[in-house]
Amino acid sequence: MKTNRRNFLAGATAVGAGSMVMPGLTFGKAFAQETGTLVFAAAGTVTSSWDPTSHTVAPQITAEGLVFGHLTNCPMKPENPGEILPDLALEWSVIDTYTLEYKLREGVTFHNGEPFTAADVKATMEYACQPDRPASAWYPGQVEVEVIDDYTVHLKTEKFGYPALNFWYVVAFLPILSAKDVADPEALKRRPNGTGPFRYEETNGDQITFKAFEGYYGGKPEIEAVVWAYVPDANTRVLGLLNGQYHLTERLEPEQYQSLSGEAGIVTDRSLSSENKYLHFRCNKPPFDDERVRRAVVHAIDREQVLAVVGEAGQASDCHISPVKFGYTDVENYPKYDPALTQQLLAEAGYPNGQGLPEIEYITSVGFYPKTREYGELITAMLQEQGFPVTLTTLEPAAWEERLYRRADGQGPGHIIDVGWITGSPEPDLVLRPNYHSDFALINGIADDEIDAALDKERNASSTDERLKVLQEETLPLLAAKVPSISLFSSVFLRAMSKNLEGVYFYPNGPIDLSKARLT
Amino acid sequence: MAFAIEFFLRRISQGLVIVLLVAFVIFTLLRIVPGDPMRIILGPMASQTTLEETAKELGLRDPMLIQFGRFVGEVATGDLGRSYIRGVQGGSTGGSQDADGFDPESRASVAGLIANALPYSLMLAGLGIAFALLVAVPIGIAAGLNAGRWPDKIGLYTSSLFVSLPNIWVGVVLIFLLSAKTGWLPAIGYRGFEYTIIPAIVLAVELSPVMIRAISVSVAQNLGETFYSVGLVRGISRRDMIGKHVLRNAAVPLMNLFGAQMIGMLLGGLFVVEYIFSYPGIGMLTINAVFQRDFPIIQAVAILASAALVIINMLVDFASTLIDRRLKF
Repeated sequence: MKTNRRNFLAGATAVGAGSMVMPGLTFGKAFAQETGTLVFAAAGTVTSSWDPTSHTVAPQITAEGLVFGHLTNCPMKPENPGEILPDLALEWSVIDTYTLEYKLREGVTFHNGEPFTAADVKATMEYACQPDRPASAWYPGQVEVEVIDDYTVHLKTEKFGYPALNFWYVVAFLPILSAKDVADPEALKRRPNGTGPFRYEETNGDQITFKAFEGYYGGKPEIEAVVWAYVPDANTRVLGLLNGQYHLTERLEPEQYQSLSGEAGIVTDRSLSSENKYLHFRCNKPPFDDERVRRAVVHAIDREQVLAVVGEAGQASDCHISPVKFGYTDVENYPKYDPALTQQLLAEAGYPNGQGLPEIEYITSVGFYPKTREYGELITAMLQEQGFPVTLTTLEPAAWEERLYRRADGQGPGHIIDVGWITGSPEPDLVLRPNYHSDFALINGIADDEIDAALDKERNASSTDERLKVLQEETLPLLAAKVPSISLFSSVFLRAMSKNLEGVYFYPNGPIDLSKARLT
Repeated sequence: MAFAIEFFLRRISQGLVIVLLVAFVIFTLLRIVPGDPMRIILGPMASQTTLEETAKELGLRDPMLIQFGRFVGEVATGDLGRSYIRGVQGGSTGGSQDADGFDPESRASVAGLIANALPYSLMLAGLGIAFALLVAVPIGIAAGLNAGRWPDKIGLYTSSLFVSLPNIWVGVVLIFLLSAKTGWLPAIGYRGFEYTIIPAIVLAVELSPVMIRAISVSVAQNLGETFYSVGLVRGISRRDMIGKHVLRNAAVPLMNLFGAQMIGMLLGGLFVVEYIFSYPGIGMLTINAVFQRDFPIIQAVAILASAALVIINMLVDFASTLIDRRLKF
């Protein structure tokens, strides 16, 4: 056949039309998920060990939330942060300063069919609290568990010298393992075996499958299977939700949240998290070893402007802990924007108008928390306006994390560090002790006897009422006065899901309760 | 035959030097840029002592040349090592591990990870090239045969348009239009061949402009050669001259282009496209490895990519000399 213009055009049109029509005929909606399977597009994923005591990784804690049960359950709602509901324990009480009693639920089984008893609580807690377990950071200290009978345990702390009340809220965050697994660390690493609503099925590359557990004490979930799909790119997660491949996604950027809010078929969720965003000062080197310079900085930051930049992903809070934490209060002496006071403090510290200050490096990350670069530039400008010689270093998460913590010599790189701190229990010490007690001070390196004493005092309180009083009237105001770090705002988690998904509860630290959820 | 042996011996030895240099540059850069992989392997709560001990066990604190020598020795025996991050089931991780340090046995072998990911990438690349050829060959030939006229302009406009479209943007728009809005095709991840189509279109959009220009220029040049007019004068039909002579001669520069430019573009394109589409190929594996400072994967992919480029260039040059015996490489 002779190739002429007409033939060529006819052929090209046919190819074009074919490519437009074919897919519609061949693949139309061929990618819809199986009924009853929920696909969760997750921003993070799990470690190579399923032993919950082996890590402190937030995405894995979220995944474990599907599988493991806890003694109690804290929904951490801002209107009632101290609320405790039953989970594997039905009753709990204070026996004395060093002893808590838990009455356990009967008739519960692990996913492998073993019955749940007091022996499992003892094995789990005595194993997980060992200082060499990475997740022992969640434990207030070591603990002994006395088995009173098959369904009653006593948590005892006298031997370790701190009040048992420290476990009051934390137990809602400590997954309960099977005693048989604890005795077999390889099994513990290989697969999770809990009492939760979903059991682990398999891992295939970046996808983890969980199946509804028939023997769940609260009744088998309606959702048959949950597929945990690790999707690192935020845009891809959103597009996957829009095209129906995913049912639920997390960690939306504020702009994505806004555009999805108007999308038919999509429901958005905005919930206050247990995370606050901080600027930590390296307090063990100049110029921030001088409390006056730290205060000068925090009074130079207009947090209202910062919050305007963060938009939907932040909520104002005047406290070093999130509003969903036990002890939260709007601290009266929390630093306010006051440039005149900044200048006064700088002059008192011997740096009038910032003259004589060393170069200050402000380290932040990009691509993990929302808007860090944007508000980092804003804060840098605010500080420069007051005479601080600040430079902003923006790093991708891996490089930022490498510079985040203090090193063997006690020093860390840079001078001001941006970081969030998220934990899954109303317990405030999960934030306060690692950050502000001189035994840890993981980032800022503060070593202040008064702060140590205030932290010990609230920890050693003999009742929750007394502890609340110490926290709100002494510890938190002292942190606001000495500012080893400043909490800029509380984070708000932005999620979106298919409108067919109902009955989901989001915990403020990330885990998702799907036990009562259904896909319509 | 002697020519072929001499050709391959020479080119393989040159290629080895290139691959070794690329490996050394990547190896050194990884260890200079900020971001200690030990923090990611062991997590934020690991003590400095554990970090240092594990780093020493992994040899990360030895002098650079010693580390590189050891690495080359292992690669020479076919051992690409084990991932720092990914577990034996292939899933990637975000962080910390037991305080007793890094257990290499719990991590996936790099060769295994690459072997799993490679078929997906080859399929995507193959389909991308096929789509690109489907568009570029007719447009390029028509443009070359009609220099200065409307098919030539179509070729110019099409390639100008395609070359100006960033593949990230094209990817997102196509997912939105072909998947989210119309529901015609799935787009994200991989659960069947149809998941390859939209990413392949994005690759084709990136590859076709260079192809269109190369084909049209090459065809037009050949039409201007004396052999073409002489052939017509001797009574050979235009169709035969084009089909048997012009297109054959035009193929040489096209093949060179394929070796020198297209494979490089394809590799770069795969990285971006696989990331946008969460497509489980080599590109996705590598980008995640970069984010997670998973040195063994990055190094292995760099070596394989440079080796692939060297081998393809070698084969292209060899094929070119078979087509046109005057050429010497």
